[in-house]
Amino acid sequence: MEWLIFALLASWAVVSAMGVLFLKNPVHAILSFISLILAVAGMFLHMRAELLAGLQLIIYAVAIVVFYVLVITTIPWEKVKRFEGFYKREFLLGFPVLLVSFILFAYAIMKGSFANLGSQARDNVKEVGKSLFTTYLFPLEVASVILLTAMIGAILLGRKEE
Amino acid sequence: MTIEKAYLLISIFLFLSGVLGVIIRKNLITLLISTELMLNGVNLALVSVDRIVGGIEGQVFALFILAVAASEVAVGLGLIVALFRLRGYEGSSEITHLRD
Repeated sequence: MEWLIFALLASWAVVSAMGVLFLKNPVHAILSFISLILAVAGMFLHMRAELLAGLQLIIYAVAIVVFYVLVITTIPWEKVKRFEGFYKREFLLGFPVLLVSFILFAYAIMKGSFANLGSQARDNVKEVGKSLFTTYLFPLEVASVILLTAMIGAILLGRKEE
Repeated sequence: MTIEKAYLLISIFLFLSGVLGVIIRKNLITLLISTELMLNGVNLALVSVDRIVGGIEGQVFALFILAVAASEVAVGLGLIVALFRLRGYEGSSEITHLRD
């Protein structure tokens, strides 16, 4: 049963990633990206990371994809049509290198062994929240400052020049 | 071969296909989507390693990666809109000068 769920989610994710890579139209690429996000959220649920699955759905599938769709509707479409598709020569040069590195990574994962630190956390959301607000409080504050800075920067970049 | 190691393989596949997308795509928006693909692969790797070693820290780091991805998308799309409005650029092969 575990492997059945894994096979379903993995094939779904692989097909969606291929769609993001090779679909010509940018809108189709974004729709394929939403499908990939749903598959990754299912993988998080399968590995019992419920908080991260919910945040994945909220942040990626709602906020980020809406940004993309908004920008695509802002830009005139004839200009976008000029640059769809992908470079053939770069693909033929880059693909063997990435295939070899994938084989190396896969070999390292298969042969390597991980340390076992002990017990699994039972209540996942509670544990993550607790360590987020005690041990990792300073990085959380830094992340909030980064979000504020990005918001101000996006407003400044996107405003009309007089 | 446990199921977490299989998920690690999927995460490596996602990361490398994101790298390939950054190399080969022409449109600037699809280039940014490929970056998001890489970030998703890293998140998946963090969560599965977390599951293997029995910790909680990987999920916290994945949460920070989510926040940074949101801000990166905001700034990147702002840059794309500004580039398009000021210069009329829409393809990755056109940005070859930093000034003029």
